[in-house]
This record gives sequence, C-alpha cells and structure tokens, in this order.
Amino acid sequence: MIYRVGVLVTITLIALIFGRLAGSYTERSALRPLAEHYVSQAPFELGVSNIVTGILIAYRGFDTLGEVAVLFMVAATIGLLLGNDDGGAREAGMNRRRPAGEIVMTGSQVLLPVILTFGAYVIVNGHLSAGGGFQGGAIVASGAMLLLLADPAAQLNAAALSMIESVAGLLYVAIGILGLIMAGGFLDPRFLPPGEAGAFISAGAIPLVSALLGIKVGAELSVIINRFSR
Amino acid sequence: MIKMIGSLSILSGAVFLFSAGLGLVRMPDAFTRIQAGTKATTLGNILIVIGLAFYHPEWTPKLTLVILFVLMTNPISSHALSRAAHRIRTPMAPATVTDALADDETTGGSGGAA
Repeated sequence: MIYRVGVLVTITLIALIFGRLAGSYTERSALRPLAEHYVSQAPFELGVSNIVTGILIAYRGFDTLGEVAVLFMVAATIGLLLGNDDGGAREAGMNRRRPAGEIVMTGSQVLLPVILTFGAYVIVNGHLSAGGGFQGGAIVASGAMLLLLADPAAQLNAAALSMIESVAGLLYVAIGILGLIMAGGFLDPRFLPPGEAGAFISAGAIPLVSALLGIKVGAELSVIINRFSR
Repeated sequence: MIKMIGSLSILSGAVFLFSAGLGLVRMPDAFTRIQAGTKATTLGNILIVIGLAFYHPEWTPKLTLVILFVLMTNPISSHALSRAAHRIRTPMAPATVTDALADDETTGGSGGAA
C-alpha cells in the first residue's frame, strides 16, 4: 500500500515537473546572443564554413586536446590491463578461431580500401562539411576492426601504430604552441592564412589539426581493437 | 512525372523493407530470418536509393556508390552471420529438409555451393 502511494506520488511529481517544462516551452525563432556571435563571426574570424568544426578546434581547442588525452588514457589503461597475457593465450585464441570463408575474405579485401578512403575523406573535409578528425578516425578504426574480424591471423603493427599516435599528439601540441607564438593564443589556428571560406585549403591550421586528430584517433582505436582481438 | 516514378520506387522499397520486418517476425528459425532480412532489405534499400536519384539527379554518382556499398556489405555480412550461426549449431526449424553446408563439410568440400 505504502509502496503504491510512493509510486503514485513520484509519478505525479515527475508529471508536474515535466508538464511545467513542456508547458513553458516556446520555440525559439532567433539565435541566442552567444550562438549569434559564433554563427556570424566564425566564418570571418576563422574562414571555416563548418562552424561546428571551427568551435571544436579553434574556440574549444583546449577542450578537444583534453578529449584526445582522455582517449589516450583509455588506450593506455586497456593496454595495461590486457597486455600481460600475451604469449600462451594468444596461441590458444588463434587455434580456436578458424579462418573465415572465401566470400568474407574477398569481401573484406575489397571493402577495406573503400572504408579507409571514406575515413580519409571524412577527416580532410572536416572544415567544409559534416565530419572531422574524431568521426573519420572512428571510420578508419572500423576498417581495422573489419580486417581483424575477417582474418584472425592478421596482425596490426601495434608498435608502429603507437608511434604514429604519439607523433600526431606531439604535432598537435606543437601546432598549439605555434598558435601561441604567432597568433592569438594556445591552439589558435590563425597563424596560417584563413583563405577563402569553402575552399579545400582554407581555415588556417584547422584542416591540419583535423587531420592530426583523425590520425591519432584512428591509430588509438585500432590499437584498442587490436588488444581486444587477441 | 519523374517525381511520381521516384515516389513509386521509394514506396515499393518501403514495401520490401516492411516484408523484411514481417519476415523477421514470422520466420521459424535464425537462418530463414537472416534470409528474409537480407534479400528484402537489399532490394528495399536499392529501390529507395533509386527513388532518391529520381528526386535529386545530381546525387546520382554518390547514390551509385551507396548502392554498390549495400550490394557488397549486406549479403556478405549476412553470409558471415549465418555461417557463424551454423558453426555454433543454432537449431534449425523442424521443417528443414537439407543442410548443404553440413553435407559439404562431411564430404570434405571447401564450401560455397548452394
């Protein structure tokens, strides 16, 4: 009885709260002042036609650096947790999984270049249309996952991938410091000419940062997937 | 007129996608469900994309790539799924008459027929 009363009271309270929220909702016909500033100023300040990428890499560049650091910590932790039992377990795992059939092998061989190309396209078009480093990196890593799933004997070169990832991270920070020296502040992409908004080579250093992000995220996720596939 | 053809194509694609969903509910075991899902969704997706090409003729190259991608991935992934289901001995419907993959493996073939 008391339980039911409690449930009823909770539901009524929730209904009241959300009813008030829904009742006072009016659709906004104009942008908020902050959004207004970004939408009107970003194409001129940065020369970027995709405002979201501009905000992500320029205005919130430090935040993006932090996100990449979080991903790096995840990869390092997974490597620490799963890296110990390298020898015997791996051999047993290889024996357990039979190789995939001919259709799957051929299909993955045909699809892998397509997926990697699409990932590269998404990475380098981040400042023009939807996409960017994180999304493109995830697509590249899905290609690595397809490779590992289709062919159990396939081995990614984890050492080289870690090296690529570290170099990309270092270059990212180096670009940030260049912005500090030659432009307005840390991770300011305006030390390269902004160019014409909408052109492929434009928006200062944003495409560079986007490409580095894509390389870093793709390598990192591939290393993680490689760890789990053993 | 052209938009009418596109709409009809999209509608027939939607009918095929619906039949795929119906097949998932109505079919008796995993293999027949995979079969219903794959065939009908492949054709349904292609018809919908073709309908889109009638609406936006300038998208045709990209839409062709989409069709090729669907044609590549959908059958192959279903093939891999059903092979895996067969390998872990997923039970078949009682009405199943023949199991070509099992026959093939016992006779030492390399698979692929039927």
